[in-house]
Amino acid sequence: MPYFTRQVDPATGNLILVAFVGVSQARRTALVANNQAVPNPIQIMGLVDTGASCTCIDPTVLNQLNLSPTGSTSVNSPTTGATPAIADQYDVSFVIPSTLNHPPLVHQTIPVVKADLLAAQGFHALIGRDILRGCLLTYDGQNGLFSLAF
Amino acid sequence: MALETELATYHQRLAELVQNEGKFVLIHGSDVVDIYGTYEDAVKEGYQRFSLEPFLVKQIQSVEQVQFISRLLPHCA
Repeated sequence: MPYFTRQVDPATGNLILVAFVGVSQARRTALVANNQAVPNPIQIMGLVDTGASCTCIDPTVLNQLNLSPTGSTSVNSPTTGATPAIADQYDVSFVIPSTLNHPPLVHQTIPVVKADLLAAQGFHALIGRDILRGCLLTYDGQNGLFSLAF
Repeated sequence: MALETELATYHQRLAELVQNEGKFVLIHGSDVVDIYGTYEDAVKEGYQRFSLEPFLVKQIQSVEQVQFISRLLPHCA
């Protein structure tokens, strides 16, 4: 089972990892068929967030990929109040690199929600339970480490 | 709001779509194109049929499931 271990951010206690976000495989095919350039995947910092039911990405990343929404969902957060907000969804590819000689965690096409204000906090994505449900997450608080196996 | 026509179509046709609850519907404009077992299949078909034109892929739910984010306000359409 591929896995990696990272240090918990000592200042915030956050579980941060490097990931790559790109256009989905299906969109890539459409772009090529239309003789349009395929944006390179973008390296991001992702926050492992078990409090997020879905994966969210900052609009600065989505804009660089020239994406258009292909979905819509209702979202509740501490700032939406009792009435859920409507948020756009985008189909993307999402890759989390593993350690040397281990394959990465790859999602060729997953829906993500656009969420503002993430980049200002030092990360570009919330890695939610839609991705984590395929993983084993270990949080070693005493040693300041976390591991993700998949 | 993005995909306004497609979302209106989804809500107008929901009563018949719920026979396929949990599956994914592909909608282009006011046309319900087809229903797919997986999100990936619906998105793939959307790009194959409509290329880079707008289309909607949505999981069919009789009661809309709300996503929960414990941190921040998502961008609202």
